[in-house]
Amino acid sequence: MKKIETLLDRFAFVANKPSAVMKVYLEEGKKIVGCFPVYTPQPLITASGMIPMGIWGGQITPTVAGKYNPIFTCSIMRSCLEYGMTGVYKGMSAVMMPMLCDTFRGMSSSWRAGVKEIPLIAFIHPQNRLDSGALDFMIEEYKSVLKRLEALSGVQVTNASLNAAIDLYNRKNAVMQTFNEVANDHLDIITPTVRHHVMKSATFLEVSETIQLVGELIALLKAQPIHKWTGHKLILTGITAEPEALLSLFEENKIAVVGDDLAQESRQYRTAYPAGEMAFERLASQWLNIKGCSMAYEEDSQSRGKMLVDMAKKQDADCIAVCLMRFCDVEEYDYPYISKATENAGLYSLCLEIDQSTQDNGQSRTKIQSYAEMAASLV
Amino acid sequence: MYVLGIDIGSTASKAVAMTMDKKIYAKAVVSHGTGAIGPKQVYEKILSESKLEKSELKRILVTGYGRFVFDDADSQKSEISCHAKGVLYLSPDVRTIIDIGGQDVKAILLNDKGMITNFVMNDKCAAGTGRFLDNMAKVLNVKTHELGALSEHATEVVNISNTCTVFAESEVISQLSKNVSVENLIAGIHQSVAKRVSSLVYRNGIVKEVALSGGVALNKGVVKALSEALKLEIIVHEDCQFSGALGAALFALEEIGQK
Repeated sequence: MKKIETLLDRFAFVANKPSAVMKVYLEEGKKIVGCFPVYTPQPLITASGMIPMGIWGGQITPTVAGKYNPIFTCSIMRSCLEYGMTGVYKGMSAVMMPMLCDTFRGMSSSWRAGVKEIPLIAFIHPQNRLDSGALDFMIEEYKSVLKRLEALSGVQVTNASLNAAIDLYNRKNAVMQTFNEVANDHLDIITPTVRHHVMKSATFLEVSETIQLVGELIALLKAQPIHKWTGHKLILTGITAEPEALLSLFEENKIAVVGDDLAQESRQYRTAYPAGEMAFERLASQWLNIKGCSMAYEEDSQSRGKMLVDMAKKQDADCIAVCLMRFCDVEEYDYPYISKATENAGLYSLCLEIDQSTQDNGQSRTKIQSYAEMAASLV
Repeated sequence: MYVLGIDIGSTASKAVAMTMDKKIYAKAVVSHGTGAIGPKQVYEKILSESKLEKSELKRILVTGYGRFVFDDADSQKSEISCHAKGVLYLSPDVRTIIDIGGQDVKAILLNDKGMITNFVMNDKCAAGTGRFLDNMAKVLNVKTHELGALSEHATEVVNISNTCTVFAESEVISQLSKNVSVENLIAGIHQSVAKRVSSLVYRNGIVKEVALSGGVALNKGVVKALSEALKLEIIVHEDCQFSGALGAALFALEEIGQK
C-alpha cells in the first residue's frame, strides 16, 4: 500500500506542479513543446527528440490576457494566454495549437501578439473527415508541423523513428485505458481526485515515464483485493473537471467516477493510431477515426450521447455529469443531444459549469448533493 | 419537543419550528442571507417569538446556500430536496416546482410519489433571479417588495433583455432617460425574469400542478408574467417563502425517526 501511496503522491505532484516538472526537464537539457488542447500530434514531438507537455492553463483570474482575449473567451484559453504573457511557460521551445474551434482562431493571433518569445506552431484539422481529401490534408498539415519541429530540435525524423514514436503512444493509450478499467475495482483508493491526478499527470510527463508509472500503479492495484463500492457511480464528460474542489464534492457525497469522456483525460487516449508502415498516414488516420468528440464533426449528432450512455451502462453508473466549460461553443452544441440521450436512457443528468476564473463551487455543490439525495431516495 | 429547519439563502434566512406531529409551530424570516448576521438573527428571532428554548429543539437541519456554516446544525440537506419536501407539504398535488431564490433558479420535477426525478439550476448568472430584481429596484428607486404592486398599473410591457443583469440595467437606464414609466419598465423586468426562468423550466419538463416557491414568488408581477410565459396556472402558497425551511424541518423529523 505504501508503494501505491508513493506513486499517487508523484501523480498528484505532477498534476499540480507541471512547472516544477518542466524545470527538471529543462535542467536535464531537454527541449519542451507546449501542447494546447487537444489532439496535437505528439509522436512528432517525441520523434524529434523533444518533450510534449500539455497546456491547460490554471485556476486564476487573468488580468493581462484581457489585452487580447475578451472576458467571454473560454477560461482555459484566457488562463493559458495569461501564463504565456506572464512567463509561466518560459523555457518552452514552442507551443503547438490545433485550430479546433473558433476561439482558437482568435487565440492564435492573441498568442503571436502577446507571447513573442515562444513561437507558435498552428495547424488545422480537416472537419470534413469523410471527404477523400481529408487524409491528404491532415498529412500535409503534420508534415508542415514536423518541419518546424525539426528546425527547433535539429533532429531529422525518419519514417522508422516516427513509427516507433507512434507505437509508444499506442502503448500509452493502452495503459491509460487499462488504468481506467482497473481503477474501477479499487474505487476506495482511486477517488475522483486521485483518478484526475493520474489522468492529468499523463499530459505532462514524458510518454515513457507515463507508461512506466501508470503500469506500476496498475500492477500494484491488481495485487489489492477488489473493493465493493456501495456509493453512487457516475461518468464525467466535457473538457475538464476542475478545480479539485469540484472533485472533492463527489467524494463528500460518496460518488465515484467510473469513466470519463473529458478532453483533458480519457478522450485523448481512446483512439489508437492504426497499424501500418507509412508513419504519416498512421498519424493522420487517427484524426479520421475519432468518435464522440465535440471538436471532431460527425454527421450523426447522437454519437456522443450514445457512447456516453453505453459507457454508463457498462460501468453500472446511474448519472452522466456534463462539465460544461463556460463559453465553449462546441461543447454547448453537444449538450442538448447528451442531455436527451441521458434522459431517454433513464439516467440522471447533471450539468456542472466549469470556469477556471472562479473558485466558487456553490452551485455545483448543491447540484451534486441534490443528485446524491435524489438517487438515494429512489433506490 | 420540536425540530427546526433553517434555510440560509443568499439574500434572506428563513426558519420553521415544527412539532413532532408535523405541524408548523413557528416561522421567522430576516432579510440577511448567508454570512455572520442572517443565520444568527433568524435563529434568535424564531426562538424569541416562539418562546422556545434551544433545549426543546431535538434536531436542527439546515439547507440553502449557507447550510454548511451554521454552528448549531445537526445535519444539512440540499435546497432542492428541501424545497421539494416543503412544497409538497403545502400543496400535495404539485409535480413541478419552480424556485426563484436570491441567486439561484431551480426547476424540480417530482413523480407521483413525490420523489424528485429531475432538476435543473441556472448557470452562474444573476439574470432571472431575485438579485436581478433587487438591482432593478435600486435603479428605479423603489423597494423590491413594491415591484409586484407597481407592475399592476402598467399600461404596456417594455421589452428588457434577459441575457445579462448588467446589460438589462443599462437598458432600463436608457428607457428611463426616454421618460418610459416606471410601472411599464417593471412589467418589462418581470417579463424578462419570466422568459429566462421559463426556458429553464422547459428544459427540465413540465408536469401539472406547477408551484412557485422562494421569496420571489411573493411578487405578483413575476407570477403573472411566468404564468403567461408558461401558459398555465401557477400555485403560490402563502408560505411559499418558507418551503425550504419547512422541508428542512420535515427532513429533521425523518432523521429522528418521526415519519
